[in-house]
Amino acid sequence: MSLQDYQVEMERCSQCSYCWWIPLDQIKSLRFARGCPSVTFNHFNSYSARGKYAVALSLLKGKSQYTPQVLDIVYKCQTCGSCDIACKVCRYNLEPLETILELRAKLVEDGQLLPAHLPIIESLSQEYNMVQGPHAERGKWAEGLSVKNISEGQEAEVVFFAGCKYSYDESLQKNIRSAITLIQKAGVDIGVMAQNETCCGGRAYQMGYRKEFKSCADKIIKTLEKSKTKKIVTSCADCYHSFKRLYPKIGLDIEVLHTVEYIESLSMEGKISYKNPIDMTVTYHDPCHLGRLGEPYIPWSGAEKKVRNQIVVYEPKKPRNNGALGIYDPPRRMLQSIPGLNLVEMERNREYAWCCGAGGGVREAYPEFSQWTASERVEEAKSTGAEAIVSACPWCERNLIDAVSGMGEKLKVYDIIELISLAT
Amino acid sequence: MENKKKGLAKILGPSMVIDAKPILEQFAEDHSFAMPNKPSLLVKPENTLEIQEIVKWANATKTPLIPVSSAPPRFNGDTVPTSADAVIVDLGRMKKIIKVDRRNKMVLIEPGVTYEQLQPVLSENGLRLSSTLHPKANKSVVASLLEREPRLIPRYQWAMLDPLRCLEVVWGDGNVFTTGEVSRPGQLEREWQKKFAQVMAAGPAQTDFYKLVSAAQGSMGIVTWASIKCEVLPELHELLIIPANKIEDLLDFGYKILRYRFGDEIFLLNSVNLKRLMGEGGDLPPWVLFVAIAGRSVLPRERVEYQLNDIREMAREHGLELLKSIGNCESSEILQKAIKPSRKPYWKLRSKGDCRDIFFLTTMDKTPEFVSSVQATAKAHGYLASDIGVYIQPMHQGVCCHCEFSLPFDPQNSKESSVVKETYIETSKVLLNQAAYFSRPYHMWADMVFNKDAQAAVLLKKIKSVFDPNNIMNPGKLCF
Amino acid sequence: MTLKREVYRAFEDIVGPEYISEDPAVLDSYIYPLNGPAIHLGPYYNVYTPRGEAVLLPGTTEEVQKIVLICNKYRVKLKASSTFWSVQGFPSNDNTIQLDMRRMNRILEIDDKNQFAIIEPGVIGAVLQAEAMKKGLNTHIIGAGSSCSSLAGATSYSGVGPDCLFMGSSNENLLGLEWVMPTGDIVRAGSLGSGIGWFCGEGPGPGIRGIIRGAYGARGAMGVFTKCALKLYPWPGPSALPIEGTIPAYRAALPRNFKGYTLAFPDWKAWADACYGIWDAEIGYIAHRQFNFLGRDLKAAMVRILTDPTKTLYDLETLLKDPEVQALTEEMKRDFQIVMAGMTMRDIEWQDKALDEILAKTGGWKVEAMNEPQISNWSLLYLIRLGHKNLNLVYSGGYDGCFGFLGPPDVGTTYVEDGAEFTKSWESKGAMVDAGGDNMMGGIGGIGGGGNCMWENFTHFDPHDQQSTEGTYDYFEACSYQFAAERGLPPGMERKQAVSTGADGKQTPKEERQRALLASPQPEVYRYQNKIKEILDPNNLGDGYYLTLDEN
Repeated sequence: MSLQDYQVEMERCSQCSYCWWIPLDQIKSLRFARGCPSVTFNHFNSYSARGKYAVALSLLKGKSQYTPQVLDIVYKCQTCGSCDIACKVCRYNLEPLETILELRAKLVEDGQLLPAHLPIIESLSQEYNMVQGPHAERGKWAEGLSVKNISEGQEAEVVFFAGCKYSYDESLQKNIRSAITLIQKAGVDIGVMAQNETCCGGRAYQMGYRKEFKSCADKIIKTLEKSKTKKIVTSCADCYHSFKRLYPKIGLDIEVLHTVEYIESLSMEGKISYKNPIDMTVTYHDPCHLGRLGEPYIPWSGAEKKVRNQIVVYEPKKPRNNGALGIYDPPRRMLQSIPGLNLVEMERNREYAWCCGAGGGVREAYPEFSQWTASERVEEAKSTGAEAIVSACPWCERNLIDAVSGMGEKLKVYDIIELISLAT
Repeated sequence: MENKKKGLAKILGPSMVIDAKPILEQFAEDHSFAMPNKPSLLVKPENTLEIQEIVKWANATKTPLIPVSSAPPRFNGDTVPTSADAVIVDLGRMKKIIKVDRRNKMVLIEPGVTYEQLQPVLSENGLRLSSTLHPKANKSVVASLLEREPRLIPRYQWAMLDPLRCLEVVWGDGNVFTTGEVSRPGQLEREWQKKFAQVMAAGPAQTDFYKLVSAAQGSMGIVTWASIKCEVLPELHELLIIPANKIEDLLDFGYKILRYRFGDEIFLLNSVNLKRLMGEGGDLPPWVLFVAIAGRSVLPRERVEYQLNDIREMAREHGLELLKSIGNCESSEILQKAIKPSRKPYWKLRSKGDCRDIFFLTTMDKTPEFVSSVQATAKAHGYLASDIGVYIQPMHQGVCCHCEFSLPFDPQNSKESSVVKETYIETSKVLLNQAAYFSRPYHMWADMVFNKDAQAAVLLKKIKSVFDPNNIMNPGKLCF
Repeated sequence: MTLKREVYRAFEDIVGPEYISEDPAVLDSYIYPLNGPAIHLGPYYNVYTPRGEAVLLPGTTEEVQKIVLICNKYRVKLKASSTFWSVQGFPSNDNTIQLDMRRMNRILEIDDKNQFAIIEPGVIGAVLQAEAMKKGLNTHIIGAGSSCSSLAGATSYSGVGPDCLFMGSSNENLLGLEWVMPTGDIVRAGSLGSGIGWFCGEGPGPGIRGIIRGAYGARGAMGVFTKCALKLYPWPGPSALPIEGTIPAYRAALPRNFKGYTLAFPDWKAWADACYGIWDAEIGYIAHRQFNFLGRDLKAAMVRILTDPTKTLYDLETLLKDPEVQALTEEMKRDFQIVMAGMTMRDIEWQDKALDEILAKTGGWKVEAMNEPQISNWSLLYLIRLGHKNLNLVYSGGYDGCFGFLGPPDVGTTYVEDGAEFTKSWESKGAMVDAGGDNMMGGIGGIGGGGNCMWENFTHFDPHDQQSTEGTYDYFEACSYQFAAERGLPPGMERKQAVSTGADGKQTPKEERQRALLASPQPEVYRYQNKIKEILDPNNLGDGYYLTLDEN
């Protein structure tokens, strides 16, 4: 697909601005009605999906050229997909998020790059990670754990993928170490890629760097194929999305699970139980890439056709990714299983959750916007009366921790595994 | 003068141009403090064409015209001339009830049609009209609606001007014009054939022209017919009486009834006003809220019963009781008094011969403050607070209310008259400063109000210049 | 970058550099295509409204006032919009700046006792409703849906919707308001002008309310409305809508004091009789012929799709062959939806009985398949929140409404079958979705208490497809100049904006506008509006959406 292929969508956009909001049915207040961080923060219509359709069309038609503001519009967006699900409440033949990602790819292809992204991409090509850490230290997080290394030829039933954020953010690493321990205690034969793990490429994909993504994916697919592992588990929502939704398109055929899904399945088998009470009221933040963007991949190949003269449908029936089948219930069920723990919901949850602000290269290029987005989530969490906000992604956790700290708030931020470990 | 008389006689015929002093003197003053001023002539047109000709003539001769639809007594000073060469346009001959449309619940009438004339005709057709409180029998229904007099049934007022809908107007520049959905003047028959019923008041286009004539005191143009939304005539109609010692005790309950849109007629009187309305009354509590319930064509008894049960429970929750009679008045008698036209003399004049009303809009929660300040101001100026009648009428489905204080007095007693005048003026000032909204600023209120809202005055003058460029329509009123 | 630098800088000084842009790409996200949801114009393939000179995002009334003063000083035209739906919210001339009002998005107060809210332009219907519900109140939501600015509907456009029966139209609900006139003067209408609150929009005396809007507003051509108060209505339901179901088939199971039905009738006379019966009985909270916008032949199947998250438009053809769906399609040919809200249980029980009596008298019935809880609760939510109005464009992204028979039920029912046949013959040509001819949607009461209905015939087409767009245009021409003309009717709503905007997306030439207005039933209306414009907008900052006639 190229941006040109999406022109049809640009011309079929309803101009309704549903993409500014969470699904209108779900609006519960003025304060937390907005869905799209980009247009909420930047105000101009251009920053909404509707606006980006228009900007893209203008560029395609040669009515406007690349300018610093165009780059701002295209890159100052977490690609969180809120617009996509809001749009699809009513539209069955538009893909706003795909178009936004394609627009980014086009900019990258045309050399319209953000200076702030360059060292990251350089780090990806030199050090195989998105956080500018030395590749040599990639596997340090697993030191001391008695776990197999599948990249060194050891075979394991399940491979655990740490991801860039966990591999280099030391303060968060306790979460994945706990995850490994929990899984091992449940009797599972688990391995890691350790030193040889490389970036999944998902974040590069979000930023528009398609070639770099492909290169990352090829490496990992090769390693996985070599290991003969049939199941990959990750605690990172971004990595999960890459494996679940992006990799199958280029040939990965493996069961992909987020830690919350896997641990829940182990607990349902009676291999993990929650005994220790945690007296706390918490709220759960749905990571975008685990929630609305975490739906199963269903391969489709076909074409548009019209029925009843002018109704646009797809032959064969095209799967509809509108957030309906994201991973929402496993983390909630796990939290509700912890004795003493009280789970309360934020106004924006599940498929219409507000983004943490970290994604799409925004944290790196637009720290102020990224932190504002996270602070909005912190405010929303506070409004529930919760003592803590719990998530299931290191990018979310880091951004929320930084926001809480920047705001001088007392709200605690947890990864769900941390609470599960305390409860078991 | 003779030239003017001749000019008008040419339009109307000599018999419809009147310069008899006794008749003109009836228009020189009213029951307000407006400065008396005798008009020069009175004309009695009977159709739109004649009115249009009169207006054109007035523009050519720069003669002020004062449209009058109701017979005396008149109260607000709006028909009292401000210049001696004014001509009264008496619309009393235009008494046609043009069409009663039961299916669409609409009636179309001329400005001379009175409450006394209209209500029986509507009844025969299974309809009725939400009226003012015990309206003057000879009051023009159109004038009453145009002047935004409060109606007894707030639930029918989606718009403040409800139930007034479409109008035919002769503007001050002589143009004949139809407002609302009616496509153009003289097309009614054609519209009826197409099954239109003159239901929609808004427009035409981007202006609510009918609003420009409302509360204008005849200063914009002359309305020659109006369509009015009616309601189905009740088969059952009961009045609930809810007494209280303090007005505050009734407000939350009143708000709840209004919010639920229960009841039909809803209004609040103090005992003084209730006594005046009924002519007697016996031992009455200080405040009474009235809520009428109507059962109409569909399940009438069941409707009255369920609302009665619900209202009873709501009253109980608010520590209030529902009565069927009060003092020596039965609820049915009070209801009939409230909705039926008043026989002569008009009920407000019965106790002392004359009366001045101070009325304005506010929200219901603020009414106790206004009651206190009116009583205090009256007392300070030597007017007996216990003589003040209070009438509170929720409007626009309860968003605001008409708050009216009646100060009766003996016009033969000069001291009493001067006390009332002083009280009236001072109280009006106090109320204005206390955030009373004199939305219909008659005579002396106009200056006070437009001083406070100078921007409105500036704009209104400009609007007036569009529709009445020579300022011939009732000059000297409002800010014109 | 055609604004003189001194003018741009003057604007920039007012709003600050972060709230102004003249980047061409940004400006192109503020143009409007006339091939999709232009709303009562065209459709014109590949035509857009003119690009503005700059977009400004003011944050306060004072900023708006300063901007307008600069516009007067330098003779720059001005167009403000809040939610940017429909062509009239966009410039129709060059040398126009655009105000995007979304930063002014506060609900300043909800006075729950006196039932009104004070809002700014950026507040949309869904937000106001959500906040009002917390206080046991509800707000009228315009037919364009709850994504639209409540203030814009009330001040600047039409403002009718499915709930008018109980909650009135926006025109009826507009109370006090704050208006930056085209001269830059700030006017506060009604009680607000005296500084004593927002509760009344009328007066003093005739007041200025009459010139602010009529059957519709100035469509952005007469200054900027910066705040207004809107009347609210009782909401005898929970403080938040209890949403359940899987996206997009959200639904709300409301307490027993709510009832939602689809009613159907044996003939149009019975349909009209039922409208009159409902108005006479004074029942109902929302009443609308809603789902027929999907087309008489398609609505039953489409409701199956919309209420089942696993289905897509691909399933339509299969469903249309389903005998059960076919029977339902036939059953609800002449239908409408009604929602009743009981303030108490006795109230709802009485309303329900009254409705049954009306149905018995008219021979109407409740459509059982539509009244199954899953569908009924979906329909209930749809009608209460109007959060799915963009389904208007579900088929391929293009729709417009035509005919628009506005009047008592007896008016619309006279033309409905005739109009359906006419439309069907055009649908068979292929440019438009073959939906059944009768795609008419509209309120059972477009004003408070009922009294009129509006029959907007939905026409669905593909805006990306030139033939589809142009074929639809031809159909609309035929609606106005064949169907309507042959019946002695004026051009329908399909041409409502065409007086102001031409096929090039720009303001129509003055002569053309004048010709059209001279041919209107009462040209005097526009002569008066011309005089009003001369007073209010002496420097002609607004555009042709405010209709004026200066010829005799």
